[in-house]
Amino acid sequence: MPSSPKKRRRTPRQVVRGVRRRARRAAGGVRRVWRRSLQLRVVTSTMVISIAVVAVLGVFLMQQIIATTLQDRERAARSEAQADRNAVLGYLNRPSGDVSKPSVDSGDGLQRGGDSPLSQAVYTLAGRAGAVPRYSVIARNDNQPGEFFVTPNIDPRSIPAGLREEVSKKEAGEDSTHYGDLYYEGRREPVRGMVIGTRLDTSGTMLDSGYEIYHLIPLDNEEETLNSVLRMLVAVGAALVLLLAAIASLVTRQVVTPVRLTRQAAERLAAGRLDERLKVRGEDDLARLATSFNDMAANLALKIHQLEELSHVQRQFVSDVSHELRTPLTTVRMAADLLYDAREDFDPMAARSAELMQNQLNRFESMLADLLEISRYDAGAAELDVDPVDVRDVVLRAVADSEALAERHSTRFDLRLPGEPCMAEMDSRRVERILRNLLFNAIEHGEGRDIVVSVGADRDAVAVAVRDHGVGLKPGEENMVFDRFWRADPSRARTIGGTGLGLAISREDAVLHGGWLQAWGAQGEGSQFRLSLPRVAGAPLRGSPLSLVPPEVEMRRTWRGHMTPVLAPAVADGGNDAD
Amino acid sequence: MGTVGLIVALTCGVTACSVIPTGGKPISVGNPRKGNPLGDPYARVIAVPPSADWSPEEVVTGFRAAMASVDDPGRDVARKYLTDAFAREWNPQSGVTVYKQDGKQDQYEKAPPVQADAKQTRVTLKGTVTAMIDQDGRYWPKGGSLNEPFTLVKGAQGWRISAAPEGLMLSEADVDRAYLKVDLYFLDSAWQGLVADQVRVPIDPTSNFAKTAVERLLKGPSSLLKKAVNSAFRPGTRLIDVTTENNRVVVDLTKPVDSDRIGPMSAQLAGTLAELTKGGWGFEVRVEGKLYYSDSLLAIDAQQHADFDPWTAPRDVYPYYLADGALQMLGKENVGQPVQGRAGEKDGSRTRPAISGQGQVAALSEDGTKVSVAPLAPGGEWQDWVTGASLTPPSWDRYDTLWTVNRPTGHSSVVVRRDSRQQYQVWAPDLNAVHVTSLKVARDGVHVAVVVKNGTEEEVKIGTVVGQGNGTRITDLQSVVDGDGNQTIKDIAWKDGKTLYVLTGKSDLLEASVAAEPKTLASDSRIESITALDGSLLAGAQDDNGNRQVLYWNRTSAKWEPMVKDEKGTVLFSEKDGPSFPAYPLG
Repeated sequence: MPSSPKKRRRTPRQVVRGVRRRARRAAGGVRRVWRRSLQLRVVTSTMVISIAVVAVLGVFLMQQIIATTLQDRERAARSEAQADRNAVLGYLNRPSGDVSKPSVDSGDGLQRGGDSPLSQAVYTLAGRAGAVPRYSVIARNDNQPGEFFVTPNIDPRSIPAGLREEVSKKEAGEDSTHYGDLYYEGRREPVRGMVIGTRLDTSGTMLDSGYEIYHLIPLDNEEETLNSVLRMLVAVGAALVLLLAAIASLVTRQVVTPVRLTRQAAERLAAGRLDERLKVRGEDDLARLATSFNDMAANLALKIHQLEELSHVQRQFVSDVSHELRTPLTTVRMAADLLYDAREDFDPMAARSAELMQNQLNRFESMLADLLEISRYDAGAAELDVDPVDVRDVVLRAVADSEALAERHSTRFDLRLPGEPCMAEMDSRRVERILRNLLFNAIEHGEGRDIVVSVGADRDAVAVAVRDHGVGLKPGEENMVFDRFWRADPSRARTIGGTGLGLAISREDAVLHGGWLQAWGAQGEGSQFRLSLPRVAGAPLRGSPLSLVPPEVEMRRTWRGHMTPVLAPAVADGGNDAD
Repeated sequence: MGTVGLIVALTCGVTACSVIPTGGKPISVGNPRKGNPLGDPYARVIAVPPSADWSPEEVVTGFRAAMASVDDPGRDVARKYLTDAFAREWNPQSGVTVYKQDGKQDQYEKAPPVQADAKQTRVTLKGTVTAMIDQDGRYWPKGGSLNEPFTLVKGAQGWRISAAPEGLMLSEADVDRAYLKVDLYFLDSAWQGLVADQVRVPIDPTSNFAKTAVERLLKGPSSLLKKAVNSAFRPGTRLIDVTTENNRVVVDLTKPVDSDRIGPMSAQLAGTLAELTKGGWGFEVRVEGKLYYSDSLLAIDAQQHADFDPWTAPRDVYPYYLADGALQMLGKENVGQPVQGRAGEKDGSRTRPAISGQGQVAALSEDGTKVSVAPLAPGGEWQDWVTGASLTPPSWDRYDTLWTVNRPTGHSSVVVRRDSRQQYQVWAPDLNAVHVTSLKVARDGVHVAVVVKNGTEEEVKIGTVVGQGNGTRITDLQSVVDGDGNQTIKDIAWKDGKTLYVLTGKSDLLEASVAAEPKTLASDSRIESITALDGSLLAGAQDDNGNRQVLYWNRTSAKWEPMVKDEKGTVLFSEKDGPSFPAYPLG
């Protein structure tokens, strides 16, 4: 019992929700189209405005036509009614002897109608109204029994009581016009028509004043005409609105199409295709827009080319300088080695100088080597020597190389390696150099605390993360660390003789592999560098098996704020991944 | 600024142009004078219930108007003029009395003035009875004076009629308004000729005249003609509607006719509606709203009835007459020419010729004992067809049989009919014991007119011929011209199937028919015999000097004018055996 109504209650709600969702989606779609299409907006507003104008004009015109048509008809009917009334008076005023002459003599013509003068008059009016009657006549005199005649098949209830009252109130001979339904015998539907009623003006005669004469004019022809005019007006109006919309659409298209082409060209230009140009047709504003666009693109391309040129010259210069410095350095080196080897024989001051010179020469040499290396990258001359290797071996070799330095800084390595081999295609020399650089860097900034090196792997990629617990990085420094000659605190000395180019070269190496080298750091939390590489050389990298933010930091954040457990790392992660 | 100026200038220029075009070709418009084939304009009376303050005379006048109202077939409004008791027994369906009042005398008999507290009074309607209309719509002319009393009693709502004559009392004007005069056309027994049945049909305001007429046609002939005529329509056929379309009057029926009756039916419809359409409209018959034939329509020519039966509107038919004792035919230039055969030779022993439809002449011998027939062809010899004690002048019918009446004694008559082989005696019980002085069969082959001598006065009767050969009968004889005042009848002649010209002993010419009172046309003492065909009326005349001539009735000047020219082209009366006894074929 309780479950089924619950179900029933839920279903309509779901339906409503579904409908609402769909409607919202459709509305969203419409809104998007509306916002994006200038053409649609122009056409719509043109249609709305023209519909309003056409409607107002149409109503005005129709009223004018109706008024004119009915006025004409009424004027004609009134004059006809006046003439008929005169005829009726003529019949009624005839001396009674004349009226009932034997009808045999008068033949079959107009003289039908027989004994009553009013009846004869009505017969005459029936004849006047035409073979296909243009109007019907009702004549009556309530003061005299039997004096109530109509022609030919009009139903007397076509005259409303109100009109009779008005006619009897008005002066004799004055018209009262009424528009209403006319009923005919043998016709079910009433016909819209006009009734003109008058009391016969019998002043100056012997007749009594009770003669009422009504002319009933059917207006079905007029109604039909007006209806067809109305239909035509509506059709013409609709056609006009559609035409205007089509014109608006055409005109907007002429403007919008070049603008759209320009937009597409700008998009392609922005994507780096500097040779993109627009076709220029004519001399109008749009053509001038295209010309300006083309000029802009040309200038932009020229400037970019110049800049490229300049940067190439600079790189060449650095490379040349490094090469040129090498020869004198070798000579200096040999001399310094001699001095250094013979320092035992010098006085302490000179011996110390020889040592210093030796140290600085070493640094100078490695800096020169790094400069040469990096200028090779800049020249695009770096090449990969790819072999499948186990990342764990590479890590172990790099750690072994760094052991000595770590001991000097009383730092210990904490290795977290998976149990099974993590094979990947890579240039092991370069990867080893990356890891060495990362480890040196961690030792230098690790302030003697433990350094965690972890290796992760999944189906497509392998990753190595190096975590230190030093001062960490300030926000925004995650990318700057890879810049050439960048240092976190310019006042701090380089203790282990880093050249300032290590991380820059490492990043170039990682990029050469199609991998990522990313940094994370927070003040007081230390920092972590992660190298992610595809398992197969050249395959695109989609994600990393290790997270950029160390797991314990992430967990701590989750504890601290329940609200954003996933968001923060994801943002950091995503933001760096896109780099 | 310039654009605005241009627009203003253009607007002014365009509006200054006239809207109505000038010039161009003349536009042809359909003839508006063709009129409405479905009915002429008419007026009708609307019945008004009585008012409490009316005088007894006014109540009777109102009742008469209410009786004449066609709007209300049950006469419900008229009943409101009656006391409750009388309203229950009053039967408006029991026949119509038609009366006439001339305006000079009072409508009602002067009654003693009504006292203010009187509860009962009597109003007597005065006038002349002219006819009765029976259930079939037959109009029977009648004479007599009208003296009908209406008894009125005063009730709470004013005067009410407590006793009145049976049936409806209508004045001639009322009948004119309330009834439509229709000539229904039926077919004779041989399905060859059209026979007119003159009836009055109550006007139905919910319908039109054409519809009313066709509905009445489908109901069949009136009692007078019931045995003598046929109708092409199948029994039970009803009319759905009559409309106009494409210059045709479309008659929509519920059933088709038998395939060999399409011609007769077309003629019946065209003849019946001809008076309404005035010959300007063709017809079309549909069945249940669909075309008559599955693939084509049945169009009927406006003159179909004349094509079907040439005698309804004969053309190029020339009269014959006797001159110099020989039969002459009057040619185009009104110059006589002797006919071929023996009849065209001078003889003088025969008189009162009658011409058949197929070129034969019959004539009565001078002593009245023999009727001889001669073909109007070269070598045509006289043959004696009928002999008797005393024969009437012969008459041909459309079936080429000869009619005459033998009067063995002064008080008995035997009607004889003879075709080329055999002689038959016609069963006419009404004529056996009277003296018949003349018998003429109408061109429709159904109507027959006889002149009966009753003592010193003679009256004209019209009857119906039923059957052929031995079974021939003459029934339903009805007097159309009374023998009042020792009136004698010189001659009779059929105009068409409906109207009979009667020449009285005082040389008055009357136009008689079964459906109307006789009308006096003209009188001329010189006339001794007449003949007629459709619009043409001829008379044989003899002036005071015994000279003879054939006269024709000029309708425009309403005068008799001499007709036959002699060789010199004069048209004067000439010698004793000049042109006499003109005769058109049949009639």
